Amino acid sequence: MSEHQPHTTAPEDRLSFGQKFSYGLGSIVNNLLGGAIGFMSIVLNVGLGINPALVGTLQAIPRFTDALTDPIMGYISDKTRSRFGRRRPYIFIGAICVGIVFALMWQLPSGHSEMFYFWFFLFGSILFYLFYTVFATPWVALGYELTSDYHERTRLMAVMNFMGQFAWISLPWFYAIMENDRLFSDSVQGARTLAIVIGVFVAVVGIMPAIFLRERFANRKDQKENASPLKGLKSNLSAFAKGLVITLKQREFLKLCAGTFFLFNGIMLVGAFSSYITIFYVSGGDTDMGAKYMGIFGSINTASTLGAIVIVTWLSSKLGKRRTFLIATAVTLVGSLLKWFCYDPLAPWKVLLPAPLIAVGMGGLFTLMGSMIADVCDMDELETGERREGMFGSIYWWMVKLGMALAFGISGYLLNATGFQVEMGGAQTSRTFLLMRIFDVIIPATAAALSIWAVASFKISEEKSYEIRQELLARRKNNTATLPAD
Amino acid sequence: MMKMRKLLFLIGCLGLFSLTTSCQNLADEIVSEPPADVKTITITMVAKSASNPVFLSARAGAEAAASDLSEKYSKLDVRIDWRTPFSEDAAEQAERIRNAVQDGTDAIIVSCSDDSILTEAIDRAVESGVPVMTFDSDAPDSKRFAFYGPDDLEIGETIMQEMAALLGERGKVAILAGSQSAPNLKKRVQGIRNAAIQYPDIEIVGEFNHAENPEDAIAKMTQVNETYPDLNGWAMVGGWPFFSESLLNQLEPGRYRIVAVDALPVQLIYLERGIVDIFLGQPTFMWGEMSVRKVIDKIFWQKDVDEINQMKPIRVWKDNLGGWSRQLRAWGYEDISREYLKM
Repeated sequence: MSEHQPHTTAPEDRLSFGQKFSYGLGSIVNNLLGGAIGFMSIVLNVGLGINPALVGTLQAIPRFTDALTDPIMGYISDKTRSRFGRRRPYIFIGAICVGIVFALMWQLPSGHSEMFYFWFFLFGSILFYLFYTVFATPWVALGYELTSDYHERTRLMAVMNFMGQFAWISLPWFYAIMENDRLFSDSVQGARTLAIVIGVFVAVVGIMPAIFLRERFANRKDQKENASPLKGLKSNLSAFAKGLVITLKQREFLKLCAGTFFLFNGIMLVGAFSSYITIFYVSGGDTDMGAKYMGIFGSINTASTLGAIVIVTWLSSKLGKRRTFLIATAVTLVGSLLKWFCYDPLAPWKVLLPAPLIAVGMGGLFTLMGSMIADVCDMDELETGERREGMFGSIYWWMVKLGMALAFGISGYLLNATGFQVEMGGAQTSRTFLLMRIFDVIIPATAAALSIWAVASFKISEEKSYEIRQELLARRKNNTATLPAD
Repeated sequence: MMKMRKLLFLIGCLGLFSLTTSCQNLADEIVSEPPADVKTITITMVAKSASNPVFLSARAGAEAAASDLSEKYSKLDVRIDWRTPFSEDAAEQAERIRNAVQDGTDAIIVSCSDDSILTEAIDRAVESGVPVMTFDSDAPDSKRFAFYGPDDLEIGETIMQEMAALLGERGKVAILAGSQSAPNLKKRVQGIRNAAIQYPDIEIVGEFNHAENPEDAIAKMTQVNETYPDLNGWAMVGGWPFFSESLLNQLEPGRYRIVAVDALPVQLIYLERGIVDIFLGQPTFMWGEMSVRKVIDKIFWQKDVDEINQMKPIRVWKDNLGGWSRQLRAWGYEDISREYLKM
């Protein structure tokens, strides 16, 4: 029960607020890039008349290339040795390139065929995701290595997660901005201009972490790495595969992946259901009323997520990360169950009640998981002698993205399984509504329970983490490398 | 080096501040006063009767569309000018159309109580430069540019198909036909007869006209039931008998298979009790909602609008009684049983 006696972070292990803020800027950019295409793609259909099936294909194909490039980029970044470090050069170049590509890919010329737009946007999307990976993977990895302190990592991730929420707040406004006839002649013109604004923002803000942060392992020479990672990759693909396998065999890491997969995707999977139930069941098909409640729900959820990040961070310093995660996830489980009682057509306002509880788990998830993966990276170094934040980060986020894609794909089939028919509006059968409500409650509640189960046996406690650190320090002292200031 | 980093940090903060300020300005721009060149479009709505809840629902739909369009497009301000007579009176409708044209309305949407009387008024309005669209009940020979409403022939066919399924394609069926002079009802009856050809073991014992009120409809039903004691089903092109509760104690649930058009709040108890099997509900809210959008497409966006815009009825039966009740409430209907809303 050592988690009851928390360590105090030593002054030399503390990151200044400026450093945390600089890292958090990357989170805004990362989330903005991750969500912008999805929120703006409606223009392809509504503004340019591209078939919705083609728009879906346009969104799906680059994901496959993205899934391949993520771990490769993680490997490249881990193996890079340069005077600027292993992460910062990629963050700097990636941010500028992805900003430029994003701005250009939306400059869709008028008067062309549907297939012209398809190929134009497909090419742009693949390039976009490539540079997005160049930026994001080293940025994620950088967060895992900025501090070696158990609690300071959580505080860093809290600032990162907190700042990243502001990107999610802005994204839903994109369509309204593009469609606003006071600003633009049409939504396509709106998309062109908005993309330039976002591109400039990404390029300017995205380079901040590269400029203001310092890598702890930039100059280590205690490992057998090539100066040129691309050459290393080319000459030794088996090393990449081996690294991938080692990463996937790291049990504690897999527990975190499973915990995230269940909790995050359980909630994502029924995201659409909640909207449908609010509009068609609670509001009786009144889309204006449903949209109003969904808007308020979203605002409460966002505010609660921000609050939850603060509370979870504080709680973690008292109880440790694992216990805090279990508590936060349990609160989400309760919130999910509460939905059953709160979908009441006679009192629609009740739909808002579960929002703060559901937000707690999500607020805690990406705050604690990032911090816990950093702990896993230490344990991995103890076992393998390598710092592989890039590999861990890329596989973790690859798993999150894969889960999201699965969740979006499956949710459509689940909706069909309820018997929902859009032309019936609010006049769906009682069975349809019952199944929708059951799915909406049971899936996230079960997923939260599975998430608790997956993380409950996570072994790196606060005590264990400090022990690992001491061992690593001792080992590094025996090496001749130029060590970071631990 | 430190100075440079501080400088860059400062620049970054200033950049963020500028971005936030720009966003604020953008938000202010979006929600500020309407621009000077806003175009106000007044659409006069002349439904059949202001005392009939179906048209109050249509009015709610028209006002919702007007509000939505005005909110979405800053240079557009759509207003609904409600000029519906209290009770059905085609001559009064024609008079109100003429008055609206004189008052300078921009467009008219009308549900015709009698197209033979209204066609002239509609044509005059169009000749004066005021576009007219009909909904629910058409004036097909007029110069109106579009109609939104049901395909009555198809509704009749659907009634027969539902009836055939309920009867196992075997039995005797009577048609409750409403007014003999109503062209839309005649089309529905024709649709029933057309579809009945597909079911040789179903016999239509006759079509029975009556004045369109509950008392006369119930009297006609009672008479036919006595005349045909082996009758199995009623195919109704309107739901008149169920606008009163008189039949609740007269008809045994399940004795007749009944399929009827309309599914208004007052009728739903017959569904709950199992006296009526299926109602074909009309999305009356859409009469107003869709008509206003079509008018704006035509006169503001200058788009081509289809002349006939078909409205699909919604099948209402015991299984979706709760959903339909909530949908009716969302469309502006009142006096819906709480029990149904909770289903």
